[in-house]
Amino acid sequence: MSAPAVSSLAVGDALGPLERRVTQEQISAYAEASGDFNPIHTDDEFARSVGLPGTIAHGLLEMGILAEAVSRWAGGSDRVAGLECRFSKPLLAGDTITCTGKVVAVDTAAGNATLEVEASSDRGERVLTNGRASVRLAS
Amino acid sequence: MAEAIGGADGANEPASVPPTYAAVYCLAPTLAQLFTDPDVGINLAGLIHGEQAFEWPVPVRPGDVVDAEAEIVNVEEKRGMTFVTLAVEGKRTTDGAVVCRGRSMMIVRGAPA
Repeated sequence: MSAPAVSSLAVGDALGPLERRVTQEQISAYAEASGDFNPIHTDDEFARSVGLPGTIAHGLLEMGILAEAVSRWAGGSDRVAGLECRFSKPLLAGDTITCTGKVVAVDTAAGNATLEVEASSDRGERVLTNGRASVRLAS
Repeated sequence: MAEAIGGADGANEPASVPPTYAAVYCLAPTLAQLFTDPDVGINLAGLIHGEQAFEWPVPVRPGDVVDAEAEIVNVEEKRGMTFVTLAVEGKRTTDGAVVCRGRSMMIVRGAPA
């Protein structure tokens, strides 16, 4: 992956969209990988018993997809210097998540850029909000 | 708690680490101590991840060993829920360099277990 040169960037430049369908298999695998075995992610009956419409993805799994979108845009994972978001609405198993973003600041001297990022589900809900990414770029 | 970052298996060794792998080397070893402590009494069924911020001051590399430490920085009760904010820091054991800083806001709903 090649990184965009910081000198070629302008405020308003777009990131994404990156679209991923999140399956129950992937959520269950994420539970194993992350060690987060909260049954709201893996047991449909349990999830419904606590008032959810069904099993939901781990927030960090969604954030991982957002990080993939930023990494691809930046030209590599090690260029991602910061990432934050709010987990506003649950992403259900089977939903498709779409990550988008735009450049809001470019510091040519420091070689970095700041982006506003967010994600929505195919049910029309904004699942990740207040997102911000900061990336290190080549000058 | 120190966590070794995997991937060092020869030819296919990745050059970099996915950013949110910090869930494994920074959050899991520290947050689990809080959420599984019977004296704290958090009901996992009512636990929600509200917000997450990460910073990576220097890139994390496969083979790094990271020692992670967390501190509860804020606890707030609102509308029958408890909002717990934790600050996490992961240091590379070879030179003590901070490779990851995290801030997690967790929402605990319902009565203690």
